[in-house]
Amino acid sequence: MSISAPDQPALLTVRGLSAYYGESRALYGVGFTVEKGTIHSIVGANGAGKSTLLRAIVGMMNRGRAAHTAGSIEFRGRRIDALPTEEIVGLGVTMVPEGRRLFASMSVEENLVCGAFLPRCRAALGETLETVYSLFPRLADRRQQPVSQMSGGEQQMVAIGRALMSSPELILLDELSLGLAPIVVDQIYERIAAINRRGVTCIVIEQDTERAMRVATAVSVLLEGRVVLEGDPDELGRERVSAAYFGLETAGKAAGPGG
Amino acid sequence: MNEDLYWTFIDIANGLLSGVMLGGYYAIIAIGLALTFGVMRLVNLAHGDMLVLAAYLAVLVLQFVPISPFITLALVIPVMFGVGYALQRFLLNAISVQSMERKGMSAGFGLMSPILVTFGLSIVIAHALLGGFASDARIIRNALSYSAVRLTEDLNLSTLRLIFFVIAVAILVALHLFLRRTHAGRAIRASADDAEIAPLMGIATPKINALASGIAIAIAGVAGVMVGMSRTFQPFDGPVFLLVAFGVVIVGGLGSIVGSLVGGVLLGITQVLAGTYFGPSAQLVAGYILILFVLAVRPQGLFARRR
Repeated sequence: MSISAPDQPALLTVRGLSAYYGESRALYGVGFTVEKGTIHSIVGANGAGKSTLLRAIVGMMNRGRAAHTAGSIEFRGRRIDALPTEEIVGLGVTMVPEGRRLFASMSVEENLVCGAFLPRCRAALGETLETVYSLFPRLADRRQQPVSQMSGGEQQMVAIGRALMSSPELILLDELSLGLAPIVVDQIYERIAAINRRGVTCIVIEQDTERAMRVATAVSVLLEGRVVLEGDPDELGRERVSAAYFGLETAGKAAGPGG
Repeated sequence: MNEDLYWTFIDIANGLLSGVMLGGYYAIIAIGLALTFGVMRLVNLAHGDMLVLAAYLAVLVLQFVPISPFITLALVIPVMFGVGYALQRFLLNAISVQSMERKGMSAGFGLMSPILVTFGLSIVIAHALLGGFASDARIIRNALSYSAVRLTEDLNLSTLRLIFFVIAVAILVALHLFLRRTHAGRAIRASADDAEIAPLMGIATPKINALASGIAIAIAGVAGVMVGMSRTFQPFDGPVFLLVAFGVVIVGGLGSIVGSLVGGVLLGITQVLAGTYFGPSAQLVAGYILILFVLAVRPQGLFARRR
């Protein structure tokens, strides 16, 4: 390692990130940092660019004329914005995609084992598998079950487990609660907290702003492709965050109530 | 026992037996096409020409070294694997839906291009073979062509067909185990299930696609040598085998190894029985009737995977 800076750089640093789908622009110079060991929530309305931001971090926006980005993304001080997805995953960043996207023809265990495709993960396969089963005991009982026969909550557990199989340092979680009952969402977020306690840094996209602020140690509000507010959720308070969410407050500066 | 009834029974039994044997051979012709479609979502119209290419490769080897045709597989398999790998890596990956989108083309371009390119490749291969070997019909001579395994006094099996069937089943079992039990095999299935998400597992999809294509064409190579040992072939015979492969895939369903075997066996039995009762010209027609029937009743094929 050649990082000579006296103080530890942030785990993830995004600077001036713009993203485009063809000609249309989805992000406008987004910048934020994620410190190691935190849970960082990104909140914003539909179409604010949350999913695009996560997709850009894992290299899924590098699609030539179909989609591309400008700006820089650094993971542990190293530029990753031009790397293909599989190499970014190799460095220790992964994503649980929106809608779970499990491998439909496979069993629970096959899905999990797929997550450990990287050579560095294969050696520790048995161990990581046990870790995932200890986090989600329900999956251990259903190892051989086809994922297509499972409930949405169980599928979400498989998707999170599959992402953990690559032993990531940073995991991006896109809309975990989509289509799930509130009680199941509670269980899933309780597990996310457990995963975070094991030292995995998380970036979370969550529609439910209140929940997003409760689980997070840092929050960024996206509005129409720009970060309009960020900070500690307790210091910001719910009212400022929801004002920013609806565009009533910009760049962290309070606007008059009622706009 | 009634003499007529006995001979009817023997005819049917012989038909079923050789139909099953033929089915194994058909399955091997088709599995590469099914694998390529299942993983890359592309139809390789040069699939049949790959078989013919492999048969000529065996002919070429045998011109220099007088060995058993089966031993030529030791060269044919790796060479055809290389051909399939390179074809995907350097040609077909460049015109995939994703690559076309990268270049700002619509997804439709990405769906159409492989059809045009593999069609062109089919013509190129056929003409290259014509240039290299002339249009004479060839056959890979072997000691087993006229040998048969006698099961009972009236029931027998072509030795060659039996060997082909055993090889075919062995290849299908090996492929099944490879796809289920190895990291590379699971990566191929993951790409087939969701090509956009597979890279999040650390899977480099261009390489995995090339690997799948290499395996598909290597198996087509084995089928090609089998074809060359059991019938005459010419440079332009590729489309004949492409049609057989389509037939098997339609009957058995795409993306299923068991489906390929069952599809091959059903097609084989139908053709042999039709040949027995209605003469050789009925073989092809019977095959097409079966294909039409399956298309009408269960268009996804008998063993199609749920999507």
